[in-house]
Amino acid sequence: MTSVALAFPPGLASSAVPRSGAELEREAERDAIAASKRGEREAFDVLVERYQRPIYRLCYRYVNNHEDANDLAQEVFLKAWRAIGRFRGESAFSTWLYRIAVNACLNFRARSRPTTRELDEALVDPRPGAEWQVAREDDASRVRAAVGRLPDKQRATLILKLFHDLTHEEVAGILGSSVGTVKANLFHALANLRREMTGARR
Amino acid sequence: MTAHVSDDVLVDLALGEGTASERAHVASCEACTRRVEEARSAVELAQRAEVPEPSPLYWQALRRGVGQRIAEDGQKARRFAILVPLAAAAALTAVLVARPGLFKESRVEPGLAAWSALPVEDEDDDLRVLEGLALSSNELADWDRTEGLGVYLANLTDDESRVLAQTLREQKQGGES
Repeated sequence: MTSVALAFPPGLASSAVPRSGAELEREAERDAIAASKRGEREAFDVLVERYQRPIYRLCYRYVNNHEDANDLAQEVFLKAWRAIGRFRGESAFSTWLYRIAVNACLNFRARSRPTTRELDEALVDPRPGAEWQVAREDDASRVRAAVGRLPDKQRATLILKLFHDLTHEEVAGILGSSVGTVKANLFHALANLRREMTGARR
Repeated sequence: MTAHVSDDVLVDLALGEGTASERAHVASCEACTRRVEEARSAVELAQRAEVPEPSPLYWQALRRGVGQRIAEDGQKARRFAILVPLAAAAALTAVLVARPGLFKESRVEPGLAAWSALPVEDEDDDLRVLEGLALSSNELADWDRTEGLGVYLANLTDDESRVLAQTLREQKQGGES
């Protein structure tokens, strides 16, 4: 049986095949990256719009408040704009952007070490038995605070893997480590988080 | 599979991954079942750390903020670019003072219009320094053609022009004394 595609001259066949939405999105992203490299701000705005939500949420998980998350997310995109000329497409754009974001978050954390005490205080509720009656958001806030107390690598691994639906390989690419290290960090992060939260509830 | 699952595999299983043989082992091993359950409960615990969803209007504000920061960053870069010829001019002045007439032969008539950004009273010999600068350095001359050294100088504020003129004057006097 002769394939329909073979009836077309070379080169035309592939363009005649309908492309999936994901392929079109990838192509649009490639175009936006190329235009951003030429200094076209509107094209970069397309990239910002596409990644603003995951980047904001990643930042929020590091800083635990909207104001700092907003500031940090803007800083991430500014750094990406400055550096986009050096993006060579060796990794996915999302991996490259996440790497910038994680570095910005770690730097922010290094600048804001004193706030760790506030997180400690936020974690421990002095009211006897009140911990079981906390509102949903308060509970989420406590878990975020506990995540915030994890060592940097464990924290980054946990956030990227659990909240950004990335594969072990993608997380490894962002953090510049091996898949084995990602899994080890995730194992320790989960164990520490569980210990932390169980301890806080006693 | 008879050995207990490793920490790596434990993570996979807690996330709902892992191979059939690993799952089969856990199903038949009390110790591994307990460990996987603990890891799974930690995953569920972590997943409770929801991030509050900002207002739908926020995303537009975020993009506007990014645009503003990029614009401000561009302005800073342009200001920095002004400092480059200023610093080069200062350095070159020192050379000119030490070796007067070095660039006189290469002067172009008439002078570059952009030099008029300097205060009127300073349109004197100092200006040769700038002309010499533009003509002497291939790199700067190239930069001038592409980026517009003249445009930068023309856009100097009065204060910046005064600083430049003062720097030139001081360099010249310093070299002559």
